[in-house]
Amino acid sequence: MEIIIIIVSLITASLISVLAKRRGIIEFFSVIASLVALFESCIVISKVLSQGVYSPFILFSVDSLGAIVLLIICIVYFASIVYSIQYLRQETAKNIIGLTRARQYFALLNIFLLAMILAIVANNPIFAWITIEATTLSTAFLISFYNKPSAMEAAWKYLIINSTGLLLGFFGTLLYFTALQGKPIFATWDILFSNALLLDPIIAKIAFIFVLIGYGTKVGFAPMHTWLPDAHSKAPAPVSALLSGVLLNVAFITILRFKFITDAAVGVEFAQKLLIIFGLLSIIIASFIIFTQKNYKRLLAYSSIENMGIVALGFGFGGLGVLAAILHMIYHAFAKSALFLSAGNIFLKYGSTKIINIKGVLKTIPATGVLFLIGFFAIIGMPPFGIFLTKLFIFSAGIASHPIITITVIILMAILFIGFLKHISVMFFGEKPADMIKEKENIWLVAPPTVLLALILFLSFYQPHFLQELINNVILKYEF
Amino acid sequence: MDTSLLQFLSGIIFLSILFQHLTKKNFSAVIAYGIQSLAIAIMLFDSFLKTNDNSLLCIFLIVLIVKVILAPTFFIKLIQKHKLTFSASTVLNVSLTLICLGTLTAVAHSQKFLPLTNIVPEHHSFLSLSFAAIFISLFLIINRKGALSQTLGILSLENCIVAFSIFAGLEQFPALQIGIIVNIAIWILIATIFISMIYKHFGTLDITSIKSLKD
Repeated sequence: MEIIIIIVSLITASLISVLAKRRGIIEFFSVIASLVALFESCIVISKVLSQGVYSPFILFSVDSLGAIVLLIICIVYFASIVYSIQYLRQETAKNIIGLTRARQYFALLNIFLLAMILAIVANNPIFAWITIEATTLSTAFLISFYNKPSAMEAAWKYLIINSTGLLLGFFGTLLYFTALQGKPIFATWDILFSNALLLDPIIAKIAFIFVLIGYGTKVGFAPMHTWLPDAHSKAPAPVSALLSGVLLNVAFITILRFKFITDAAVGVEFAQKLLIIFGLLSIIIASFIIFTQKNYKRLLAYSSIENMGIVALGFGFGGLGVLAAILHMIYHAFAKSALFLSAGNIFLKYGSTKIINIKGVLKTIPATGVLFLIGFFAIIGMPPFGIFLTKLFIFSAGIASHPIITITVIILMAILFIGFLKHISVMFFGEKPADMIKEKENIWLVAPPTVLLALILFLSFYQPHFLQELINNVILKYEF
Repeated sequence: MDTSLLQFLSGIIFLSILFQHLTKKNFSAVIAYGIQSLAIAIMLFDSFLKTNDNSLLCIFLIVLIVKVILAPTFFIKLIQKHKLTFSASTVLNVSLTLICLGTLTAVAHSQKFLPLTNIVPEHHSFLSLSFAAIFISLFLIINRKGALSQTLGILSLENCIVAFSIFAGLEQFPALQIGIIVNIAIWILIATIFISMIYKHFGTLDITSIKSLKD
């Protein structure tokens, strides 16, 4: 029932966005829908905790991993919706967009959330694939939202690369179906898993490679990452926050579900090796490209590629790395979303995403400046933020079995830190341009990233019992 | 279905993608796509006749209406509207393209993929050919510079996956059928909206001329 309520509320909010004439009504219903989603996701979590797997209908099933990601999605979405209201109002005041575009924005954003939630709760791999494809479609229009040539190009690149990737993912999914006896009407993840031993090992390996390349494109693994910096830099800031903070996790979860089946067919080493390869490649590319970046939103996008690489390494190393990878996913989602929302404030003030045009942020918009710096320290893994510990755990999990890779990654982290800091110091600590005046920042543009950063700080020191239990269940269920 | 007819249809699918690689005219590439989709539709109809599965009849009708009739008509109208008689050139020249196509076809037929192409042993050669077609349609997306050609490449890739699933006996899974329908719907929507938007913004569909992101 909870999932149906979420679906109905989001569809209603989308319809109201299309039909309503007054901006206030659209904003109100979008906030209500996001609150309903957040509230219902908490109920779903309580049911997952009591039942193990919550499956109200054959179509939907939420396990502990799904519950964690569902909560992340709803929290980041609520923050993004609250932020979007003021962000779009300011853009309207500057004649960047009109009411029609704002209506399209909220309609598409609600559909985007719906597609992500359905991808997480889908009990069938094809249904999950369809909903992930739906996220591509809704976000393509959000990436091209500003209707500029560069945004259009980024959206086209996103569509072509992701659709090709997802078709390969679809092909990989098909190959898993070759193990099924009979033709079940609704082949669930569990049915695929229970038939995994019947899967030819070579087919299982080929299928996982296709799935990893396919959904890995959506995660932003190198070398399929090329769409990500363009899309994230051209989309409106709250959309970038959702793309980077949650969509990447949704695609990653799908890969993990297929890994679960593949492990049963061919053992854990095969998928682990592939995750390590893709993870390492992503970190290498992000570390070196970050140096040459001229756009601060692209900088954050490359940081997402690096962080997804770290998560892949965690799952690839196994053991303690898995626990750290799950926590890293959570911390990264909140920190990166906060960074993109802060980047939105910088864009509103300076009207540019080019690093060269941004100087003296701490003097012009000090609250945003401080938030961005805190986000930067959080994402780079400075203590006391949780990412410091997750990286440490992942490296300690890898140092015994893969010492060369682990040491290489540690060196790359140092390079990445220098590259990131080089750009940040130019933007934040210089003198502000003479014509740029200090203005009081709008509370609704500062509060959402503040809440997200407060959350990551809180979770860095204390993990609530329910979260610990969910993470333990994930580790137990997936038997990494 | 008669093996010789299956052979003919799988050959049509493979050759149509080869043709899409070599043709310089958008119109011919669209016609090749239409013929390729017709081959898929015939295979689906045959599967329906064998199984009496009504959902397969539904898929057949959708493929026939959307992929064989509506999509090519839409693309031809787009070509006429924007005077896109000639497709943009390829990234690699014809000789290199042919070498790549040969290599990809050989790789698909290699021993490494034998378990994959032996899912249904009696369809081994068809599965090998449709697997090779998947590779070369993927290469079509990479090698072509035109947005229209890239769209045709993705739609061809989808056709090849459907062909593979039919030869592997997977087409009767309802979930897969829904997946095929959704993908058709999404790509027709993308093609109708985005290609026109790209042309409106850039005055061309040659993606190498679109360099707004290099800022």
